[in-house]
Amino acid sequence: MSKLIQIHKVYKIYGEGQESEVRALNGVTLDIDSGEYVAIVGPSGSGKSTLMNMLGLLDIPTYGRYYLKGELVSELSDTKLARVRNHEIGFIFQGFNLLGSLTALENVELPLIYQGIRASKRYDMAEDALRRVGLDNRMHHRPSEMSGGQQQRVAIARAIATNPSIIMADEPTGNLDSKTGAHVIEILKSLHAGGSTIILITHDEKIAQFAKRRIHVHDGKITEEL
Amino acid sequence: MNLFQAFRMSIKAIMGKKARSFLTMLGIIIGVAAVIVLVSLTQASNDKNMEWMRSFGTNIVNVYLDPWRNPRVSQELEDYIAVEIAGLTRGMTPNSSMWGSRVSYGAKAMEELQLYFGSADFSICNNYKIAKGRDLSYMDIQRNTRAVVLGAKVADEIFNYMNPIGEQIRINGEIFTVVGIYQARVTDPNMWDGYDKMVVVPYTQTRLLNRNNRISEYAIKAKDAESTQEVVTLLQKFLSTKYDDEWSYGVYTSDTWMSQIDEANRSNLIMLGSIAGISLIVGGIGIMNIMLVTVTERTREIGIRKAIGAQRRTIIAQFLIEASVLSLIGGFVGLIFGFLITVFWGKMTYDMLVLPNMMITLIALVVSIGLGVGFGLYPAVKASALQPVVALRNE
Repeated sequence: MSKLIQIHKVYKIYGEGQESEVRALNGVTLDIDSGEYVAIVGPSGSGKSTLMNMLGLLDIPTYGRYYLKGELVSELSDTKLARVRNHEIGFIFQGFNLLGSLTALENVELPLIYQGIRASKRYDMAEDALRRVGLDNRMHHRPSEMSGGQQQRVAIARAIATNPSIIMADEPTGNLDSKTGAHVIEILKSLHAGGSTIILITHDEKIAQFAKRRIHVHDGKITEEL
Repeated sequence: MNLFQAFRMSIKAIMGKKARSFLTMLGIIIGVAAVIVLVSLTQASNDKNMEWMRSFGTNIVNVYLDPWRNPRVSQELEDYIAVEIAGLTRGMTPNSSMWGSRVSYGAKAMEELQLYFGSADFSICNNYKIAKGRDLSYMDIQRNTRAVVLGAKVADEIFNYMNPIGEQIRINGEIFTVVGIYQARVTDPNMWDGYDKMVVVPYTQTRLLNRNNRISEYAIKAKDAESTQEVVTLLQKFLSTKYDDEWSYGVYTSDTWMSQIDEANRSNLIMLGSIAGISLIVGGIGIMNIMLVTVTERTREIGIRKAIGAQRRTIIAQFLIEASVLSLIGGFVGLIFGFLITVFWGKMTYDMLVLPNMMITLIALVVSIGLGVGFGLYPAVKASALQPVVALRNE
């Protein structure tokens, strides 16, 4: 398997040099291969969310290097970062982060619009993604007309619509009851079975059990790997 | 992403937040409409006032004096004007009048009108124009003719559609022959029509109609604005030698009133323009508030869009289009309201077609659209510069 992600001695430091300095990431080095299902586990405040933001290119490291598919992405411009996020990464957030003024279909179409894909093809791709999460019958509903589980499935559809290299899920079951949460975990599992690389961030050991590889984070450092 | 998609996305965002979109537009609508209406109507009112002032004629000097304290002064003044300052004037007339006169023709009568005693220069000194027949002539004065010229209102009421020229009427019981009719001086039906509810007879008839009267008022038409001032100065000087006090006579010119009214009009316009400007600013603050209140919400939206791959310029383009569309729609709705209200109000109040001032309309539009776009763009420019993770943190 080829190396998909390589991060080398990555630091994220807030208020550097001040008394209140916080090292959210304290020299993390990590490789993730293509097709892996990785869980990043740690209590709140451990730096796991910072790690995921770094891996997802939502934030830039203070120090250190990050290679994605062999490209040094930690030095890219804002515009190029947006393109990489658009093509390579699909996000699933704890709070869903759907746009309330758009329908389910329009939300899923959004990353495809940013890719510049034609309307008819875009529609097909978005519809297909929604079908894969079992929501093709609710395409024209707005998020406010859906349950939490349904909203999270829309978010998953949005994440997979572009066929990204990596799917990042940050506490995807955090706002859901255990039954709908289990459903979301099922979907992630089947995506992994289909060949997707999945990075799951959670504080919940039980959910982490589903991953093939578990990375424990504590005080901004990787403490153990299973 | 191309421009068309950015445009569609903006429309979607506007339609998705109808209340917010409407409130944003409302500020612009009120601002633009208020400026247009206030400034246009003030200007119309000023124009109306000036038109009214001009109906008195320009370069006219009015003299009031007390013929009882100095019985010879009337004749002396007439001589002085006719001989000494003739080069500066185009005409002079006694301008005395009797209020509450009665005119009758057969069974028809009109009460409470003003009877003037004038010379052949009466009409040019009071800005009347002959509509039909002829004016009073020098011979009428010299021969003491019983000739009368009717004001438009009097001719209308007493003769209706009949031709009054040559007809005989009674003025306070004495028989006079109608020789002419003046054009209506006031065309506005809402205005006081006293200026047309008058008749004028040769001043040599004063003794017949008003036994005790001496001439106490004169009107002089000067050649031009410069001569007007000169005439005023000269007459004041002349009269000051005839009386030992300043209260027995007065020399005025409507030009000074006009410049005073013009001054007052201008300060009116500035005042109301400022009020309109304030309403534009208040509208702008309304826009600003709505936009700033939604900054948090919008920042989060921008975070989401960036996370799924929107580039900074794409986001700014979307928000720019959104703010422009909102502001343009608001601006044009305000423009339409402003026009309608101005025209309607103008019709109701001044009975004329008042059209908004183009310059002010343009300024109001540019300012409000500028405010809308500026404040609409502000959160986008700010938030799109943030790392997505920071923008997303906005709950």
